[in-house]
Amino acid sequence: MLIAVFLLRIRLVMVQRRQRFFEAQWQPLLAECVFGVPAEIPQVPPKMRYHFLKIWNFHHESLAGASRANLEALAESMHLGEIARELMHTGNLRERLIAVMTIGHLRDRTQWHELRDLVAHPSPMLSLLSARALIDIDAPSTLAWLITVMAARDDWPLSRVVTILREVGPDLVTLPLIGAAEAAARGEGGDTQVARLLKMMEVAHIEHVSPFVGKIAREAKSPELIASALRLMQDPRDLDIVRTHAKHESWFVRSTAIRTLGRIGGKSDMQFLIDMLSDTHWWVRYRAARALLALPDMPLDIVDHACGKLQDHFAADILAQAIAEARAA
Amino acid sequence: MTVNDWVVGTQWFFLLYFICINMGYVMLNLLSMGSIKRYVEAHSLDDIPRGISGFEIPVSVLVPAYNEQETIASSVRSMLQLDYPDYEVIVINDGSKDGTMDALRREFELEPFPEAYWQRLPVKPVHAIYRSRKYPMLRVIDKENGGKADALNAGINASRCPLFCGVDADSILERVSLRRVVEPFLVDPRTIASGGTVRVANGCTVDSGFLTSVGLPRNPLALLQIVEYLRAFLFGRLGWSPINAVLIISGAFGVFSKDVVIKAGGYRTDTIGEDMELIVRLHRLHRTDNIPYRIVFVPDPVCWTEAPETLRVLKNQRIRWQRGLAESLSLNIGLLFHPRGGAVGWLAFPFMAIFELLGPLIEVAGYVLMILAFFAGLVSQEAFITFIVVAFGFGLVLSVSSLLLEEISFHIYPKPRQMFVLLLFVVLENLGYRQINSAWRLWGLLLWMFRSKARWGEMTRGASWQTGSGGSTH
Repeated sequence: MLIAVFLLRIRLVMVQRRQRFFEAQWQPLLAECVFGVPAEIPQVPPKMRYHFLKIWNFHHESLAGASRANLEALAESMHLGEIARELMHTGNLRERLIAVMTIGHLRDRTQWHELRDLVAHPSPMLSLLSARALIDIDAPSTLAWLITVMAARDDWPLSRVVTILREVGPDLVTLPLIGAAEAAARGEGGDTQVARLLKMMEVAHIEHVSPFVGKIAREAKSPELIASALRLMQDPRDLDIVRTHAKHESWFVRSTAIRTLGRIGGKSDMQFLIDMLSDTHWWVRYRAARALLALPDMPLDIVDHACGKLQDHFAADILAQAIAEARAA
Repeated sequence: MTVNDWVVGTQWFFLLYFICINMGYVMLNLLSMGSIKRYVEAHSLDDIPRGISGFEIPVSVLVPAYNEQETIASSVRSMLQLDYPDYEVIVINDGSKDGTMDALRREFELEPFPEAYWQRLPVKPVHAIYRSRKYPMLRVIDKENGGKADALNAGINASRCPLFCGVDADSILERVSLRRVVEPFLVDPRTIASGGTVRVANGCTVDSGFLTSVGLPRNPLALLQIVEYLRAFLFGRLGWSPINAVLIISGAFGVFSKDVVIKAGGYRTDTIGEDMELIVRLHRLHRTDNIPYRIVFVPDPVCWTEAPETLRVLKNQRIRWQRGLAESLSLNIGLLFHPRGGAVGWLAFPFMAIFELLGPLIEVAGYVLMILAFFAGLVSQEAFITFIVVAFGFGLVLSVSSLLLEEISFHIYPKPRQMFVLLLFVVLENLGYRQINSAWRLWGLLLWMFRSKARWGEMTRGASWQTGSGGSTH
């Protein structure tokens, strides 16, 4: 075991030395891609393929526009696509991850079916990267299917899924999201999937998803679903359902409804929100206080005055906190 | 039964015990090897830039502080610069007798804030809540002294986020610490707690509360603890994670689902090892109520802490840890061999009870009795040598294997010379240090049995990196 430790350290030192040597040559060339395709094409020894792909992808993720195109042109002249394809088929997990990312960035259509298969891989990292690669290659033809997978795979962090969809943009994601959500709501996916899709809809054109969101808010029974729908509501015509849910038995739904009321409600909601300051749950009281301050044409001194008149000390305390927060902001 | 039968029986008992404990650790080591390799591969692209979605789970970083005037400003400053998109920092001044509160007021321009404090867990009275004018994400709770657990409970009450992260005030974090430890919550919604590897900060360079370069200390006691921490974290904890049987998440840095902890009753204020007790209790409650859950250990080094450099302080720390272990297990004894206990009730808990809790008693008794019996001529030379080989040899194998795991995974200590120094201390650790540790732990066990009173763990901090906003510790 001692010998293994020694050998590993010797190997590490050699690898690091080799990496430093090549990085010193590669970094200036890759940085040149900001201005154009470098005239000099770097050599990548077989043992350094993984490392080069990683640096290349790092630059690709950091740059945008023409610089990215230059990087891709450089990759083409270096046959990085072939290297990536080979690593995707024969490499270990680490190599497959970087290979899939590269194939996506190079929009290599030849690997389409392999990537589709990898979307079902048990590794969340590899499967999610494969999904992203498919989107990089041809988003319109794969989004409808991928969004149903995104809804079903709860091991794919929602934050990463939303980041990918945001990069694609609302024009492309809105209709597939509505389609997937409607199918899930018909009973093909269950409440959990509908709730997940509603969260993804934050990156969609909100006016297009509104009818579906309103339908869920009106018809759903699950508090999680109702809250997810309420979070997306922007249309003052939905105020009646928002006000109804502000009296829901679940504190979670009440607080979300009140938050929405603060966003789309009007001055006429003031008394209702003042009443909600006495709710039994802290978060509902807090959201009511914040919503009061967020109502349009609601000067701080009017709310301050209302605070002075409150008999319930829970209501007065929470409103005082919200006012202090608003003043500090 | 003759005296000779007793002697032979005792010999076999100790020999078998030492073989069993070391085989247990070897098994954990093998489990760790597999999971660390998978982990490192799966996270190989973590340093490639990634966008922020706005869907990251918000976290409240809770920093209980008691007499931390030397380090608190630097620690909090570093916690305000973590690479995480949505978090708040809550410092809980637990009735410090020194200038901790003044240091916080001065450094962060605190002003009293009229907060509607929501007391979901019972805590000692809160005097005031402050908010920083400079950093709106920072709040400070000034409360009556009630111990670390009480301070954490007060922080949980004030927290506004679904996750909270308990951090020791003297902890030095990595910028990506939160991101790393929150990840299990994103990947598996059943996750209720997650912790990472704690490393020894002595000898490292710290700037503005962040670790800038890794080094080895000159103090031999700190060096021995580096080897010990490697073993404790890299396979003492990682080995249990794949079978959902992690029983310890260090109080120095651990992330929890707030609602789950509140439902479980928060941290117990009558124990020393409140961090371990909470984890064992969460296991027990979820197992007995048949609720799906995950408690995850992340092997990344997320937190660096100052290790004691004097025998007196180290002794007190180890006594405290052993008492904490005893309390945590005894308070949750219902988990042991519970029909729904799973891997934690049938493997990890008994392993901890037999080898970690009672281990010092058997080890010390083993050393003393075998030596006495050898000199009294009751034990043959062959048997004595076998015992010594098993006791020291296996220990050496385990220490070297933890170094091997380190080389496979993170190789934190970059210079070859550092690796050679560690290898030397891997050997030295088994020649006296482990045995002294066993004696201290036995003392801790006895103190627990005789129920002496628990207090905040007082530790003398060098805090030599605290030179203005930067500086270094060597």
